[in-house]
Amino acid sequence: MAAAIETKKLTKSYKSRQHGLINVVEALDLHVEEGEIYGFLGPNGAGKTTTIKMLLGIIYPSSGLGYVLGKEIGDMDVHRMISYLPERPYYYEHMTGPEILRFYGSLFGISDEAKFQALLEKVNLHRDTTKSISQYSKGMQQRIGLAQSLINDPKLLFLDEPTGGLDPIAHREIRDLILSFRDEGRTVFISSHELSEVELICDRVAIIDRGIVKQQGKLTDLLRGGRIEITVTDIDKSIMNKLELADSSVREHPLGLLLDMPEDNEVNAVIDLVRSSKGKIVSIVPRKKRLEDLFVETVSVKPRSSSTEGVK
Amino acid sequence: MRPIIAIASTTVGEAIRRRVLLVILLLAIVLLVVAPGLGILSARSETTVLKGMMLGIIQLFSAVIAIVLTVYMIPNEIERRTIYTILSKPVQRWQFLVGKYLGAVAALALMMALMCVVLVVVFIIEHQDLAAVADVLKAPMMYFVQMSLLAAVAIFFSTFVAPLVNFFLTGGLFLLGSLFNPFFQTLQDNASTNPVAKNAAMIVNTILPNFSNYNIQNPIINPNSQIQNEKTYYISITFYGLCYITILLVAGIWVFDRREV
Repeated sequence: MAAAIETKKLTKSYKSRQHGLINVVEALDLHVEEGEIYGFLGPNGAGKTTTIKMLLGIIYPSSGLGYVLGKEIGDMDVHRMISYLPERPYYYEHMTGPEILRFYGSLFGISDEAKFQALLEKVNLHRDTTKSISQYSKGMQQRIGLAQSLINDPKLLFLDEPTGGLDPIAHREIRDLILSFRDEGRTVFISSHELSEVELICDRVAIIDRGIVKQQGKLTDLLRGGRIEITVTDIDKSIMNKLELADSSVREHPLGLLLDMPEDNEVNAVIDLVRSSKGKIVSIVPRKKRLEDLFVETVSVKPRSSSTEGVK
Repeated sequence: MRPIIAIASTTVGEAIRRRVLLVILLLAIVLLVVAPGLGILSARSETTVLKGMMLGIIQLFSAVIAIVLTVYMIPNEIERRTIYTILSKPVQRWQFLVGKYLGAVAALALMMALMCVVLVVVFIIEHQDLAAVADVLKAPMMYFVQMSLLAAVAIFFSTFVAPLVNFFLTGGLFLLGSLFNPFFQTLQDNASTNPVAKNAAMIVNTILPNFSNYNIQNPIINPNSQIQNEKTYYISITFYGLCYITILLVAGIWVFDRREV
């Protein structure tokens, strides 16, 4: 599959009086395939927005290469095929929803009123056409933002914190819209802190910390290695040592014993063993590894080290 | 061209809704309306005082509007992040800057036109002399070129300095270019001037935008004072203004193109 985004050692540095040269993004290698929803995760100040701005050609890389839809970043032809929804976007407050779409449409030379109407319907704002943006709720502003980002029928959408600060209903509406973009064959690049959201919609993710990509891959691969909890009772204590397999633990539980083991261990063998010793299985609970666990494991809490902050 | 027009028209829409500008405009209109009543404070002819006062009000308030309108233009777009959604579309930075400038000039034209309407109405009520009104209106037309130049100075500075610094920088340049340009010109032309001072005066006079060119109220107010070849003079100072504006915009685009937003 062709790459929608490809970066090679993309780096952005800033000079600081106190710390010298700071690499906000360091040697970033990304590969985003066409038609997928790609989650770009990281704590505050990790370099997510800087990366997006570099990919959009709004700021210039210090070194490295970047390609968007096969063309070098900053190429104006690419801007016809992409769109961007910034974090907490602001639109000209005196405008109404249709006026916002007319304005952004005119930047592409698009003046198709039927298309604007269809977009308003898609984001469920077609009943609020006379309201000015200043009267819009946060969720409505985010939805008009998504509508403006679809004006040029983009192949690739950059969404920076698309659900930040929204209530659960607005969350769900935005999530459904993003999923519909994938169904329409678009590539979506999402920068977000909402890990549960990302886990639900993304095909692949990258976790960036202090400008460096720490993890990258398919969610199914990255989240492999969940655990299984088996609660047993009336078990013969003599088989206890047999139950303690590699990376497993056995501990007391109000109902008996709790066996905690990796999901890829031989669960059937353990069940057979319990049953052969006349023990009873009370429950088998698979505990899937969550993105939040992976994120916390990946993102260290140490202060900036010299690897990302060198004085020159 | 479409992106420039779209950005310019949005800029006009925003500008005419900015409360601070509307308050300045309202104050100017109030002063224009009460101007005939203030004529009694002067010993000079009532018509002379009225013309001078009204033109002074229009020039002063237009300058304030031009500066306030433009110094926040680019920084606000960056702070509110509207610039990101615009520059991520097929819009070049020069188109954005030119669109912003043209929008500012169009908004300025609207506000100055409103002040001129008030001037015309007040003047006709006071003097019922249409020919004199047409003569008086030449000054605001030249002020418009002057304010467009002032807006270009502010837009240029706004690409790399903070709004407050820009406010004082542009305001200072306006005062310097309006009040001291004739002084530098005299220094430059005077045969007895020290050569070093002469060269310095020439450099300052060339670099500094000559806002004093557009202060044509004297011949309008005082019938004894006249401009030689009036038409040629107006065309030449308009051409000077356009050239200077172009240079400032090109320099602004050069800076803005390299700036990280």
